[in-house]
Amino acid sequence: MMFDAKAFIAEQVGTIRKAVPGKAIIACSGGVDSTTAAVLASRALGDRLLAVYVDTGLMRKDETADVSKTLNELAVQHRILLAADEFFDALRGITDPERKRIIIGNKFIELFEREASPFGAEYLVQGTIAPDWIESGGQLRDRIKTHHNVAGLPERMKLRLCEPLRDLYKDEVRATARALGIRVAERQPFPGPGLAVRIVGEVTPERVAIVREASAIVETEIQAAAASGAMVLPWQYFAVFLPVQTVGVHGDLRVYGHTVAVRAVHSVDGMSATYSKIPHDVLDRISVRITNEVKGVNRVVYDLSNKPPATIEWE
Amino acid sequence: MRVSVIDNGGQWTHREWRVLKYLGVETKIVPNDTPVSQLNGLDGLVLSGGAPRVGIDPEKMGRNGEYLDAFYAPILGICAGHQFMAKHLGGDAAPAKVPEFGKSVVEIHQPDVLFQGLPNRFEVWESHNDEVTILPRDFVALASSQNCDVQAMRHRDRPLFGLQFHPEVEDTQFGADIFRNFLKLCENPK
Repeated sequence: MMFDAKAFIAEQVGTIRKAVPGKAIIACSGGVDSTTAAVLASRALGDRLLAVYVDTGLMRKDETADVSKTLNELAVQHRILLAADEFFDALRGITDPERKRIIIGNKFIELFEREASPFGAEYLVQGTIAPDWIESGGQLRDRIKTHHNVAGLPERMKLRLCEPLRDLYKDEVRATARALGIRVAERQPFPGPGLAVRIVGEVTPERVAIVREASAIVETEIQAAAASGAMVLPWQYFAVFLPVQTVGVHGDLRVYGHTVAVRAVHSVDGMSATYSKIPHDVLDRISVRITNEVKGVNRVVYDLSNKPPATIEWE
Repeated sequence: MRVSVIDNGGQWTHREWRVLKYLGVETKIVPNDTPVSQLNGLDGLVLSGGAPRVGIDPEKMGRNGEYLDAFYAPILGICAGHQFMAKHLGGDAAPAKVPEFGKSVVEIHQPDVLFQGLPNRFEVWESHNDEVTILPRDFVALASSQNCDVQAMRHRDRPLFGLQFHPEVEDTQFGADIFRNFLKLCENPK
């Protein structure tokens, strides 16, 4: 017996309708999970649902425009909040990955509550999936990392939660998204805290710009290589900024620049993963482009770790 | 068929539930302090893994001991569940000399129904700090890896099985087959 997306959709639309008697907002990042949750909730609640997308300043290249387009296509009532300054202020001086995640989780809820009250919503729908609450821990379970939408929530919250995807893994969410006709069904996972957890050390606008450009190069090159048949498209692939400076030489001049790590993994559910065996000429193109096109980076390394012992994201 | 997963706090407890569900089993994740009397009517139990030291700390293993003593149908202990099974039934478990995380290879040296139809060597996924150090009396070791002697064990007479590796993890080869073999035993306990 495999996962039955159609049955799941019918069941969840009914469940959401029962669970949410009034109005709700949905936290929507434009990723597969929250977009799927948004469409399910929208089917259940119609105009009693408002989707809220927050541009945290920690998004990938062109992400906000793309998400806005997706939500328009899906005819989900939505608002886009531009909140980069608030996030950068809250993250100033913070280097601990868990603190970053908690600050971001709290900030999200603050913004959602601000949007919920004029709309009259008492419920917050989230696209939380199984690995989010599993890895967030609690009781017997150890905390691997604070997922912003679970353990990153403030202790006191006015909004009540509704999480229709709690028991699903990414492959099952994708099956649901396909059945709902969602364009972003195959989009690679992107964590809620965004590029903040792909910068080891303090999050600054300059570092975000570096990792954003580097990630765009990783995505373009890997997608092109996969499209040409040179490799299988990994489950997830991105760049990580390392605050490690090393020596380089640029046009007979000494430089002392930062390092970018390239991460690409194969997985089904995100709960275990193997690093992708990317052909060397693809890695070579990525390296040459990043070190030439992204200012401040003179070294690129490739991450060879599986999960476990590592996790997919670096923080 | 109804088989529940006892939650000892593992990262992959919910994966065990998913694999069982995909195999058509009626399954639930239940807390490990559930009285054995509430498990009446089940055809089998899976004792999940848990955080470091959980398998060798009886305090954290709730009523797992009760299940091993009084549950009437087959039990599959995984990781912490396997370690606790050894310790509770007279063997021992302790911090491993070489913990294993991620990819490993197991070798089956004692054929068993649990591994029916499987090759003798295959790739598995591990994640453990502790291991079974002394096999309980009445148990047979079935498989090992380079750094861990007891990757699998079973009771000689009762349908009790322990696995150090994680058959529920997507990257483990033949994981679903191992569950299928276990479910056959649940259907037809000897």
